[in-house]
Parts: sequence; C-alpha cells; structure tokens
Amino acid sequence: MSAAPDSVPAAPPGAGRLILNGLFAENPVFRLALSLCPAVAVTTTVVNGLALGIAVLAVQVLSSVTVALTRQWIHPRVRIPAYTIIIAVWVSAIDMTLAAFAPAVYAQVGLYVKLIVAFAIIISRLEMFASKYPLIPSFWDGVGMGLGFLFALLVIGAFRELLGNGSLGGVPLAPGKPLLFFALPAGGFFSIAILMAIFNAIERRVTGGASRPASGGGHA
Amino acid sequence: MSAAGQIARITASLTLTCAIGAAVLGGVYVGTERYARAAALAGEQRAIRQLLGLGDGAEVREVHQWLDPARRIVLYDARTLGGGDAPPRRVAFDLSGAPVEAGAPGDARDRGLVPLGRLFVARQGGRPAGFVAEGEVRGYKNRIRFLVALSPAFDLAGVRVVEHEEDPGLGAEIATPWFQGQYVGRPAAGLATLDVTRDPMPEDWRSALAGLQRMPVGAWAAAHAPLLERERTRPIYAVTGATISSRALTDGVRATVDHFRRRWALLEPHLGGDS
Repeated sequence: MSAAPDSVPAAPPGAGRLILNGLFAENPVFRLALSLCPAVAVTTTVVNGLALGIAVLAVQVLSSVTVALTRQWIHPRVRIPAYTIIIAVWVSAIDMTLAAFAPAVYAQVGLYVKLIVAFAIIISRLEMFASKYPLIPSFWDGVGMGLGFLFALLVIGAFRELLGNGSLGGVPLAPGKPLLFFALPAGGFFSIAILMAIFNAIERRVTGGASRPASGGGHA
Repeated sequence: MSAAGQIARITASLTLTCAIGAAVLGGVYVGTERYARAAALAGEQRAIRQLLGLGDGAEVREVHQWLDPARRIVLYDARTLGGGDAPPRRVAFDLSGAPVEAGAPGDARDRGLVPLGRLFVARQGGRPAGFVAEGEVRGYKNRIRFLVALSPAFDLAGVRVVEHEEDPGLGAEIATPWFQGQYVGRPAAGLATLDVTRDPMPEDWRSALAGLQRMPVGAWAAAHAPLLERERTRPIYAVTGATISSRALTDGVRATVDHFRRRWALLEPHLGGDS
C-alpha cells in the first residue's frame, strides 16, 4: 500500500473520516447490509473470516484506485461492465498470486477468493465513491470499506466459532458441548442479525443516533 | 454525436478495457504459473511422504493412468518425482489384461487419452515402502477427493481428504486429522467388512487421535500401539450425528484399495522392481 498522504484535499472527506465511515457509520455488513451471503458462507471460524477479509480489503483498495485513476476514460454508459472487469482482473491476479506464493492460505480460502468478483460491496463503492472522487480519497474509502468488511467478518467469525465450535482461532476455549447450530448456515443468519442489532445499539448510544454516512449513503 | 458514433465509442471503450484486463491477467499468469505448479506439487509430495512416513532417502514414482478409447487399451506412465535416475516408462494392457506395446510417453498416437487418476509407488533403500492411490467418491453435496496410503502388505497406512464440500461442523469433520486417523493401521483383510458406526467414540481413543496433529504418524502409532490394536477391528466412528460423509469416505477408500490392488497385480511385474 502507498504511503499516507500528508495533506488531504479539503472538498472530499479526510482519510480518518473515511476509514471511520467504513468501519462504523457505513459498515458494509452491519450498516449497508451488503455481501451478507459470503459473510454467512465463510465465517464459520475466525481464521476464515480474517483471510477473506484481507482479500476483500486488497481487492476493494486496488479496484477503487484503478477506477479513480481511469474514471475519465470509462464511458458512463458501460461503466458497470467496466467496473466488473476491473474487479475480476484484480481478483484473478490475487487468486493466482496466492496459489503461487501462499499455497497453505490458498488451500483454506481459494474457493471464496474467486467469489469476491460478485461482492456487491466492492462494485457499489466504485459506483458511489471511486467514480466521483480523485485518487487519494478513493484510496482511503477503499481502505475504510475493506477494513469495515474485515472487522465485520472477524466479529461474526469469532461469535460463530466460539458458540458453534467452542474454540477461537482453533484454540479450544469453551467447556461443554458447543451449539453446532451457529456453525451451520442458518445459524449464520441469526448470528449476523444478533450482532447487527448489538452493533447498531452501541453505535446509536455512542453517536446519539446522529451518525451520518460520509458519502451520502444509499443501498446499492 | 450520432447514435452510430456513440455505439462505436462504447464498443471501443469496452473492447479496450477487456484487452487491457486480458493483458494484465496474462502477465500475472506467466509470472506465477511456474511457482503455483511447484507449490501444488510440493504440497502433494509432502502429503504422500507424511502418509507413508517416508524418510529423506525415499524415492517416489508417480504413475499416470490413461484410457485410450480408440486403441481400447489402458496406459500407465511412470516417472520418478523430483527427477530421479530412472527414465520415464510406459506399460500398457488391453482390456483383458494382456500387455501390449504402446510406445513411450509422449507417443504420437496419444490423442484423446482419458485420465484415470494417479498412483504413487514409494521405495526406500531398494525395498518397497508403500503406495498411495488417488480416489474419488460422491459425498453429501459433491465429490470428495482423497488419497489412500497403503503399506507394502496393502494394510491401510492412512487417508487424506484433499478436496470436499461437506457441511462445516458436520460432514466436513471427515477432513480432520482425528477422523482420518481412524483409518491408520487397518489390516487389508478387514477392509472388505469395514463399517461405520453411530456409537460414541471412546474417550481414550478420541484423546489419542487428537494427538495425531502434533507428531508424525509412525511415532504416534508406536505411542498408542495397544489402543490401535483394540480399535483396528472396530468400525469407524462417524462424525457427530452424521454417517453420510463418513460412510461415503469409507466406501470410497474400500473401492479405491480394491481397484488399486487389481491394477497393481497387473503392474507389479513391470514397475515393481525398477527403481
């Protein structure tokens, strides 16, 4: 990743605001409710959630940067196919690089990495943010959204692994019989619903219900 | 701008995007393909060596099996993994099992060959050290791919699930060391009647299997010899509450071993001695 900029242009939101926005005010999973399907599919353990979260962070940042740099050449009538191609290129490149240089990680998450192409969160950030702002804010928006997704997957993964398997990061913790239900897909939906409610309650208490998304919101 | 001009611009824009994307992907592929293949091969060789408990001096020959529908023959191409001294060899049989002449690997007639999976033959210090056969079976959702390791006397040395899509927390447990450890040391004679039970696994056996993750198979088997002796004649304990995946894998292992032994009876006079 490139170095942090010393000064951020005044008009678009600053780096810190954009990152906090992705983590909390517009958290892709808990607030925007985007890409819930993969969030259910992979978060049976913390490690799976972490691995996919990192891959999404990388794809989001690289795609946002690419779109921000090339936006004046992308014909507006075909911007969605163009974004899809950009995302697919980055996903495939990361997929091949992982298979070549980190085979152990690839064996764990290889199946899910390819699915990132179809993640609604990534294309919606390209459409709502990267296509309208210059490089630096787009980079930070990508970082914020990627971190927000990573954070959500980690929390859901920890919740489900602890309840469904009695362990955390593969280390057995909870005594007694785990509630297998939470490791199964149906339990995934319930886990996300419970965590989303908790997240929103905390957020409301902290911000007094006044949190406003930095990019104007919108549920793509 | 005219409609035709618009369409032309849009087409050009999309075509260019695709072309750039294709070029980038091609570049990444050329740059990583060599490493990806090496990593996949190294992982597979490591699994084979672990399953058979092979030392550094061991030599592993990989045998590719092909069906040639046009000539109605089955081909076996053997080569030493990691580049040994022995040259690649080919033996072939017609469908009745009689040896036939089919040229060398890479023969001009090799068109439309259907792959039939691979097997691996290990030798250590000039003596046979075991076999590994690739197997495949239908699981709960999709196929389960696995490796079966056999001792030179065809006893089960171990099973390793390579690819599966069973449910996490249920069927997916078949890919864990504790479940796969149950196959270690099963005698060849008992395999035909090897069954799966829903009974709970005895606690001493469960805790012994949990230790499999931390040490090589050979040392583990030696440390738990009395337990293994007891469990060898008992059925496989199914993963919690579900017998579909456990039974599928057990049936697959049995079929793969049967199949392997029939093929090896044909192959041994040709590939058993050379190293």
